[in-house]
Amino acid sequence: MGIQSELEKIRNEFEGALMRAGSLKDIEDIKVKYLGRKGDLTGILKAVATLPKEERREAGKQANLLKNELTEKLGTFTSGKKTEMSDKREALDVTMPGISSSRGTLHPLTQVMEKINDIFVSLGFSIAEGPEIESEFYNFEALNIPLDHPSRDAFDTFYVDEKHLLRSHTSNVQIHVMEKKDPPVQVIMPGRVYRPDAVDASHSFMFHQVEGLMVDKDVTFADLKGVLSVFCKSIFGENIKMRLRPHFFPFTEPSAEVDISCIICGGKGCRVCSGNGWLEILGAGMVNPKVFKSVGYDPDKYTGFAFGMGVERIAMLLYGIEDIRLFYENDVRFLKQFD
Amino acid sequence: MKLSYEWIKDYININKTPEEVAHGLTMSGSEVDSIEDVGKDKVMEMEITSNRPDCLNMVGLAREISAVFDEELKELKVQEVKIFGDNAAKIECEIKAKNLCPNYTARIITDVKVCDINKKIGAKLEAIGLRTVNNIVDITNFCMMESGQPMHAFDLDKIRGNKIIIREAQSGEKITMIDGGEKELCSGMLVIADAERVIAIAGVMGGKDTEVTSSTKNILLESAYFDPISVRRTARELTLSTDSSYRFERGVDKAMVRLSSDRAAQMIAVEAKGKIEKIYEAGELSVKETSIGFSTERTNNLLGIEISKKEVVRILSRLGMTVTDQGERDLSVKVPSFREDLENEIDLIEEVARIHGYDKIPGTVTKFAPQIKRKEHAREVVDKIRGILPAIGLNEIMTYSVISEAATSRFSSMIKDIVVLRNPLSEEQKVLTSQLLDGMMKTIAWNLNRRNNDLALFELGKIYSKGGEGSPFSEELTLCIGLTGKLRKNWKEKDRMTDIYDLKGVIEAFLEGVKVKNIFQPAAIGEMFDAAEIILRGEKEVSGFFGEVRENLREEYGIEQRVYIAQIKLKNIIETADLKKKYKMIAKFPFSVRDISILCDRKMENTKIYEMIKDSVSEFIQGIELKDVYLGKQIPQDKKSLSYSIQYGAETRTLTDNEIEIVHDKMKTVLERKLNVTFR
Repeated sequence: MGIQSELEKIRNEFEGALMRAGSLKDIEDIKVKYLGRKGDLTGILKAVATLPKEERREAGKQANLLKNELTEKLGTFTSGKKTEMSDKREALDVTMPGISSSRGTLHPLTQVMEKINDIFVSLGFSIAEGPEIESEFYNFEALNIPLDHPSRDAFDTFYVDEKHLLRSHTSNVQIHVMEKKDPPVQVIMPGRVYRPDAVDASHSFMFHQVEGLMVDKDVTFADLKGVLSVFCKSIFGENIKMRLRPHFFPFTEPSAEVDISCIICGGKGCRVCSGNGWLEILGAGMVNPKVFKSVGYDPDKYTGFAFGMGVERIAMLLYGIEDIRLFYENDVRFLKQFD
Repeated sequence: MKLSYEWIKDYININKTPEEVAHGLTMSGSEVDSIEDVGKDKVMEMEITSNRPDCLNMVGLAREISAVFDEELKELKVQEVKIFGDNAAKIECEIKAKNLCPNYTARIITDVKVCDINKKIGAKLEAIGLRTVNNIVDITNFCMMESGQPMHAFDLDKIRGNKIIIREAQSGEKITMIDGGEKELCSGMLVIADAERVIAIAGVMGGKDTEVTSSTKNILLESAYFDPISVRRTARELTLSTDSSYRFERGVDKAMVRLSSDRAAQMIAVEAKGKIEKIYEAGELSVKETSIGFSTERTNNLLGIEISKKEVVRILSRLGMTVTDQGERDLSVKVPSFREDLENEIDLIEEVARIHGYDKIPGTVTKFAPQIKRKEHAREVVDKIRGILPAIGLNEIMTYSVISEAATSRFSSMIKDIVVLRNPLSEEQKVLTSQLLDGMMKTIAWNLNRRNNDLALFELGKIYSKGGEGSPFSEELTLCIGLTGKLRKNWKEKDRMTDIYDLKGVIEAFLEGVKVKNIFQPAAIGEMFDAAEIILRGEKEVSGFFGEVRENLREEYGIEQRVYIAQIKLKNIIETADLKKKYKMIAKFPFSVRDISILCDRKMENTKIYEMIKDSVSEFIQGIELKDVYLGKQIPQDKKSLSYSIQYGAETRTLTDNEIEIVHDKMKTVLERKLNVTFR
């Protein structure tokens, strides 16, 4: 049999094998069988070396041409096969749910408290905390709320013994802070407070407040308004309007209640704002000189402002929550909404 | 307190709509909650703050309107009272409790015709929600609503012994009130008595026996000043709040005691055709005249505005004050008797500010100093823990810190020195919690009842007890972690139930996050099964514990599935926590891994093997990882098989296979010899 026909036979066999090849392993086998070191074509090339000189040249050329041809065919086939196979392997259903490790959430009240804290920290306030079980002095007397005075009506209180109670506001921390430090003082005081209210959709015997206090020389009511305005806009949005209404608190004078334009109706009047377009969210005022006296500050030298807000109320407005009890039921379907 | 728009026009000229008046009052501190149509009248529901008893009547509110809108007040003219005679029996009027009643007036009016009040007056009273009774009672109410002085009319002929005694009640004395209710009095309560019995509770309500009825002919009209604290205490103790007590406890205008009596007497003379007779007066009132120095400059400095002295004078004068200019800067302000709340300059500054309008004060944010240290260490540590736990799948909860006694007693090992409320609202909220487990268990039960079966929760809360460092009570910040149900839930992997090692993993994760080293040691805790204590390295005190909740405790909450809970106090963790971050060189040379499977006694602790491996050839060991634990048929029953991957490496070069074989074999020899284990 001549070289020519041998080469033809190899080509035919190679193409047949290639057509039958189903896996990368098959392709590797074909490569070894036809193009490998001990393969068929290598055998031919070795045989060519034994031919007479005049035939050797032509035969060698033919054999090398075939080698190149087969190598190229195998390459093309292999990459085609790889593509075809990977297409088959990655049978992705894009509609299948992905898999990830589960993620938890912070309680919405924690989140709102952090939001509030962050705003004031960015304005230069630091954070202070104080006790929840408190003496009457810190909760009342030092804050100019005398015993048997109608101003105590707003602060019904749980007592734990003759002289100690569960604080009814975070204002007690003001006194602790001022007792420990001379002005300038610029702090916010977040915490838990208690009042004997029967629990319903809008009342809770336990809730959270954030109190703020700034004392220095020449702190003005205008400064108070400035800070509160930054706060209201930061938390409720830049377009929110704010107003201060005169009010009475024993520990501040002048005192104010702070309203924002209703975040539901924008001030037109709706169910949430009882139709008047405003929502009360804060109490504030200039620190009463009597409070300064009780902590040993000179009221002729220093002025200051204080404010306080209910965290639940702000969270309810911010997230559209209508029942305060949801915060303490901790249904995970509720908690997970505040991701 | 209600304001009638029609009635108040008797005292001021108003050219503003009711809505404008309401807005003006609200923005000057007398908040109008709502406006209601009553016939042709507009009636405003007012919220008057406790410092402003002078606003609990029409004249007082008219004065506010006069200041806000700069309108002239119509003066309420009370004519001099003519005495018609001295026909009635003489009354002896004696104050025995002078400190509680400094001044008492009793006016005799004879031959009254008790009937319905004239329609005009009746309509005014009804508009503001008062029920009309008869012309005498209605006139006293009218005068109270007009200018603030509560008064009471007795049927003179029913007063026994011609005596009026103002004294403290004796314990156990009883009286039937006008409203029909019977009250038993305590000593200390101020009462009005005749020669034989109590006929009224001073400042609160009169008695049934001496009330004015249609058959009454002669009356005794009381107008007095009663001590605010006394009235307040009495009203609260008897749970009897009346329009009268509400005003007395806030303080009535001392100057009105006599004037109101005159006003009422004249109206009774007209409306009930009565003959005004003698007025008996006991005690006397010193109406204190307060003068306060006032600086416009200081006002402007405090408010951050520029308000003129002229405006200040205008505002204060409209509010009824007498202002004298003391020269360059200062004013002297004489405060009227109806404004006892004004004691100091700051009180006047508030008056100026609220009438001038808070909306005219600008907002400034220029004075705020940057803080160098933004957060205390403790807060940073807690914030970090709060960041880690949700990141590994836990949801934060918040539970009530006041719980029931029954719930507290479920945790018998944690009820030392509990703090109990003296005046709880209910049995459900009575004790300050001494653990966070109850809140966690309740939350888990709540969720399981709503088919939220797979839970990973944490709470950062306080636990409370008596006795602390330098304080009679202690409040300790504590972390509670609760896990239950399935852990992995997806279509690809098999579900797995949460177990105690998942809980331990959560604890390790957060401790690692704040770089706190600790040891876990087995402990016996009544409420827990498989429990362990958590002790920080180098400390003796136990910081917390974790374990599986015992079945009997679970049953108390109606929980059927297994629950794993940890409770850890954070004080020591916060103190030990290290939040500094520092770069440490990453190994430059590759490491090699060798695996070993150790067959050992079932009770052998992982730590022992771990430490032994580390100690045996410490210089080249870069890491040890437990890969698998096997208990089963292929090994003896009292044995277990632990498989570890050990990383070998050096900082300065790549170890040769030979070097690794040597240390690896050495390690195995040490393990075999010291721990009596074999290799599989």
